[in-house]
Amino acid sequence: MKPLMRMMGPILLGSTLFFQPAYAETPPTMLVVGFSMTNILTLDPAAITGKETVQVLANIYDNLVALNAVNRAQVDPQLAESWTIADDNGSITFKLRKGATFASGNPVTSADIVWSFKRLMKLNLAQASFLKTHGFSAANADQSFTAPDDSTVVIKLPKKVDPQIVVQTLGIVGPGSILDMKTVMEHDKNGDMGAAWLTNNSAGSGPFTLGQWQSNERVTLEQNPKYWGEKPAMRRIMMRHLAESQSQRLMLEKGDIDIAFSMSAADLKALESSKDVKIQTNGGSGFYYLAVSMKDEKFQKPKVREALRYLIDYQGLNDSVLPYFGKLRDRPVPAGIFGALPNAGYKLDVAKAKALLAEAGYPNGFSTTLRAISDVPFMSLATAIQATLAQAGIKAEIITGSGDQIYGAMRERKYELVVGRGGGGQLPHPDSNFRAIVYNPNNADEAKLTNFQGWRTSFYDEKINKMIDDALVEGNKDKQIKEYQDIQTYYADMVPAIQPFSEVVDSVGFRADIKGLELNPSWSTQLRTVKKER
Amino acid sequence: MNNERLTAFTRQTGTILATLLGLLILTFCIGRLMPVDPVRAIVGEEADQATYDAVAERIGANLPLYQQFFRYVNDLLHGDFGTSIRTGQPVINDILHVMPATIELATFAIIVGAGLGIPLGILAAVRRNRPIDHVIRFLTLIGHSMPIFWTGMIGLIIFYAALDLVGGGGRLSDYYIGLVPETTGFLLIDAILAGDWEVFRDAVNHLLLPASILGYSSMAYITRMTRSFMLDQLNQEYVITARVKGLSKGRTIWHHAFANIRVQLVTIVALAYGSLLEGAVLIETVFSWPGFGQYITNNMLIGDMNAVMTCVLLVGVIFIALNLLSDALYKIFDPRTR
Repeated sequence: MKPLMRMMGPILLGSTLFFQPAYAETPPTMLVVGFSMTNILTLDPAAITGKETVQVLANIYDNLVALNAVNRAQVDPQLAESWTIADDNGSITFKLRKGATFASGNPVTSADIVWSFKRLMKLNLAQASFLKTHGFSAANADQSFTAPDDSTVVIKLPKKVDPQIVVQTLGIVGPGSILDMKTVMEHDKNGDMGAAWLTNNSAGSGPFTLGQWQSNERVTLEQNPKYWGEKPAMRRIMMRHLAESQSQRLMLEKGDIDIAFSMSAADLKALESSKDVKIQTNGGSGFYYLAVSMKDEKFQKPKVREALRYLIDYQGLNDSVLPYFGKLRDRPVPAGIFGALPNAGYKLDVAKAKALLAEAGYPNGFSTTLRAISDVPFMSLATAIQATLAQAGIKAEIITGSGDQIYGAMRERKYELVVGRGGGGQLPHPDSNFRAIVYNPNNADEAKLTNFQGWRTSFYDEKINKMIDDALVEGNKDKQIKEYQDIQTYYADMVPAIQPFSEVVDSVGFRADIKGLELNPSWSTQLRTVKKER
Repeated sequence: MNNERLTAFTRQTGTILATLLGLLILTFCIGRLMPVDPVRAIVGEEADQATYDAVAERIGANLPLYQQFFRYVNDLLHGDFGTSIRTGQPVINDILHVMPATIELATFAIIVGAGLGIPLGILAAVRRNRPIDHVIRFLTLIGHSMPIFWTGMIGLIIFYAALDLVGGGGRLSDYYIGLVPETTGFLLIDAILAGDWEVFRDAVNHLLLPASILGYSSMAYITRMTRSFMLDQLNQEYVITARVKGLSKGRTIWHHAFANIRVQLVTIVALAYGSLLEGAVLIETVFSWPGFGQYITNNMLIGDMNAVMTCVLLVGVIFIALNLLSDALYKIFDPRTR
């Protein structure tokens, strides 16, 4: 063995030469951001699906307007300098700012904007649904989006809706992202309107351009030298795929990344005491909820649904399972959105629930199944709800699975109870919540309205459908607010199939020397305002 | 080539092709039985049925399963491995990008695993039931039983976060990303080709920990197997005869006993290397290592069957190649098999 030992010595000594401390901080003009990128499948704004992609594209593409990061109800100008709504609420006219150019150097014209919207509708991919909800389609796109001159865009509303919600929709990343028509069409392949090319290339006018996207590795954004707005402090943004929350935490603590976007509650909690790291929490979109299937005979009885309402430990779930990711909310409209009523104040009340179950004919409870995604925080939520249901004699067997399995069962309407997350909220407008959570224009199985959670729960109420439709077209703001408040009251009274118990919030950790970070709801944070103060 | 050789060659080729076809059929069936919906992965939760149907038609997911399979095999026979849903790139390009990262990791790991595992196994066998044997067996037991995910995380906390000895996640520090051109995809080689020793050192710094942890895991297996093979040999009469004839202990062990276990060790090391190439997904996840294991797993999770099938095919080819290689080495080490 001696020769072996003699050989190993120099090898070990040599290898220690490589054991050198890594750089303790990121470069001064490069922002390094860490989050899990497993959901990024494309960087084409018309086709994106997850919030992670929104976080990337929010820094590459401009919209006509932007939703304010702090005051969600406020819509700020972006490529449009101003806009006016026709007296009959039938159209919106946008006046474009002068001097805006794409990263290619091409000027941003009304033709690019009209083409971007038409492309969205014609490709009919994931993001088209935002405009389809308001009546836009591939068939009416030519009439709906017009450009009377180089700096004017007119959007004619195909159906009667609140024009404000259309303006807000144009402010979100994806449906509202404006593309450089000439550059994209140079890469048109078999009439795909540049879709294949845009998968990993960019053609925007935002503060950064896409340098490189390596799937599940990194996205590099480079400063756009032709950006029309204030020059960002960072020359480059490096977004790194860090699937593990603990890896993000370790790298954030060490200063190897500046911002960690997808850390678990446990890691965020652990960082609270760090002087080098700060935590910021801001509104997200949607709710954590308990949903029932109204196909199930038991849950068709309002008393049973009401009993479930009192078998949720609202405060307990928010305090113990959802810190950093949820804020107590028991109404279907997030706090702070116009028309939102204060919480109804539901509490865990086992005695009341038992009485309601007895009235419904289930004095000893019943057996059921409770589905939840086998991931944080859904498993913990399901376990906690299972325990409170058991207190009233409801034996809920937990079924776990992937998102496809759990929400797939909902889409097929084959489930009993689900602990889930959703319910609109990408727009600061109550309609986006009601339409996602309770609206159901056709309850037939063959309608397959899987994008409506109202349909997935088989909940159908003609009156609430009409109330939602009416409120959306109400021209008088005060009346509209009152109508949305009435819908919430009615929603509470009739005990529908989805009971929210928390509204989604997002939390990120970042180095203390990072300034100017304003977390935008739904992961659309603009990083152009971020600086490093060292 | 005489008739006998030609028959053997034909038979072997037929076996390989049948194995690969069987592998494809099995993977395709398992992939389709899994409750994942590639169309939903593309269109998202909010899309309506019309969008869903249009995308299903575009990617061929609306076709009967057998048609989807035959379409894939037909494309394959024309040299087209398909396009990945995840990246929108030809699958073969994706694999060419992720494979070098994994080969670097696995090669480094197998050097650690075999480089330490074989001597330790021999040492444990030679010092059977002595304290050193117990220590080695204890170490290998830990290596075997500790989840590699956990070992990786603990390794990061100690060697990266606390001691600051190695790099964190990824293949390079942010300072160095993009500094050397991607000529071969093997970062160490590319850094050498570019003559950039800073990048080379940083790449080694990032490689050391995940490769050592992976290597430790395979070392545990190799050590135990080596010990067992060696004990078998040390109990043979020829070893006693050699010692009685006055041969030194070292010479008896290395020149006689070890020579007789080389053949088995080649198989063990080759299989361990194959497993490292396709099974390092957990360590790749913890260390954000953009390798083959993560690629195949993430694509499996969204039902990206073009990518999954090609990856499985490649894994099959790797194992077949390693088997052929170990067969060839058998012939070198053991004249009786020639």
